[in-house]
Amino acid sequence: MGVRYQAYLDRASTFRRVVANRRLKQQTTVVALDDVSFDVNQGETLGLVGDNGAGKSTLLRVIARTLRPDFGRVIVNGETSTLLQLGAGFNHELSGHRNIFLSALAHGLGRAEVSALYDDIVSYAELGTAIDRPLKSYSSGMVSRLAFSISIHLLPDILLLDEVLAVGDAGFRKKSQAAMVDLLGRGGTVIVASHQLVGMAEICDRVLWLEQGNIREIGPADQVLEAYSRAEPSRPG
Amino acid sequence: MTTITTSQIPSLSGWRNYLRNLWRWREFSWFLALSNLKARNASTSLGLFWWVLNPLIMAAVYYLVFGLILNGRQGESQFVAWLLSGVFAFNYTATAMTSGANSILANRRLLVNIRFPRLILPISALIETGIGFLFSIIVFYLIAWPADGVIPRVNLIWLPAAVALHSVFNLGLAGWSARLAIPFRDINNLIPHLSRLWLYLSPIIWPLSFLRDRGGLVEDLALLNPIYGILSLYRTALMGREMDLPAVWIAIFWTLVLGAGGILSFVRHEGNMVRHL
Repeated sequence: MGVRYQAYLDRASTFRRVVANRRLKQQTTVVALDDVSFDVNQGETLGLVGDNGAGKSTLLRVIARTLRPDFGRVIVNGETSTLLQLGAGFNHELSGHRNIFLSALAHGLGRAEVSALYDDIVSYAELGTAIDRPLKSYSSGMVSRLAFSISIHLLPDILLLDEVLAVGDAGFRKKSQAAMVDLLGRGGTVIVASHQLVGMAEICDRVLWLEQGNIREIGPADQVLEAYSRAEPSRPG
Repeated sequence: MTTITTSQIPSLSGWRNYLRNLWRWREFSWFLALSNLKARNASTSLGLFWWVLNPLIMAAVYYLVFGLILNGRQGESQFVAWLLSGVFAFNYTATAMTSGANSILANRRLLVNIRFPRLILPISALIETGIGFLFSIIVFYLIAWPADGVIPRVNLIWLPAAVALHSVFNLGLAGWSARLAIPFRDINNLIPHLSRLWLYLSPIIWPLSFLRDRGGLVEDLALLNPIYGILSLYRTALMGREMDLPAVWIAIFWTLVLGAGGILSFVRHEGNMVRHL
């Protein structure tokens, strides 16, 4: 058993600011997730689809346990590693070398553990000598490859991906999908949110369709993806 | 394999867990502090020197205005050493107050994506400021020695105690500022004004004789200033002044109330921080 949700509601009562307006009066209550409950199994890839604002990112944050739900609970077995956004915790003024340490230490590793993984991370990311240059000199593809390489080398039990279905060029994409398959093979779980439905169909076992914070449909990937793209003809197939 | 339920409210065992996690992430707090120093160093040509240069310039301005123009020395024979020790120590506190909220706001992406004990961020900011502060103590002697004949003496053994007490106190203030300024950003605008007022109310730009001349209630109230005892401990350590024991006890009291209180309040509310980012 991987992850179980029991009814919870996430009432994010943030002081949402209207663009460039810092007035506190703009307080609104946003129900990002409303009574969502499901299980994810070991060795399974679950896809999350839904329109912008449906609650996909919120759901991933709750699973990553960076956001506490208002009620209900999340049961997670194992270590989660997140690639919710690429390169969280990177400092672009610093070298790739230092950023590997920053990112891996942020995930709770010790320096000795990171040193042991270091060479593998660099060679997997195909960065070569660029690793000693500051990150601001990297292309966005290089940054993504580095971020993905770090995440996969942390050997997470659960990998969470937000809009990062494809990383880098065609060659690296193949490699990154192989790494995900490998992770699933050792009993891991992948949860991925994306708008790229074709890619989702390739890698997901099941898909969860979120609509305004509720589960609209959950089931086999082809079935849910088809229903999702049918519901709104303008959606990119 | 661990089972974690996020909706649990921190219990006593939760606190023990929290401390264990702080320990697990200790290397991250150091590495983040050093990385930030390095990044800062890369972006300005004087780099790390600004940590010392900023309070030094501030002290020079105060010396000009209060020492020379207003003649505020009032019989303090070591006014330069008095002023410098006060400004350097106070600057550590003032920076901690602003960095508490800023360390959270600047690391938004990290907080949203990765789970770790949030107190690591203000701790890391404190380490960053603390390193600059320790350097400024060397600068203190480089100036106070020729100016006032102040040299390091055996009293310096009190310095680690002063720095430790002061650091817990500062971490607590950083905790309060993060706790209050993240849901209510307006507080961020107030902090510089509050800290300036606090500086003027503390024995930094005026010597203690200024209080003794007024006596009575004013003197008693000044003693209650949370940073009064900490400053007096620094003067004991750095300048060889006599230990003001009541003041030190009051400093310990404030460290427990403001320092530990701020840390606990921060930790209790850190789960909700992501919502306000």
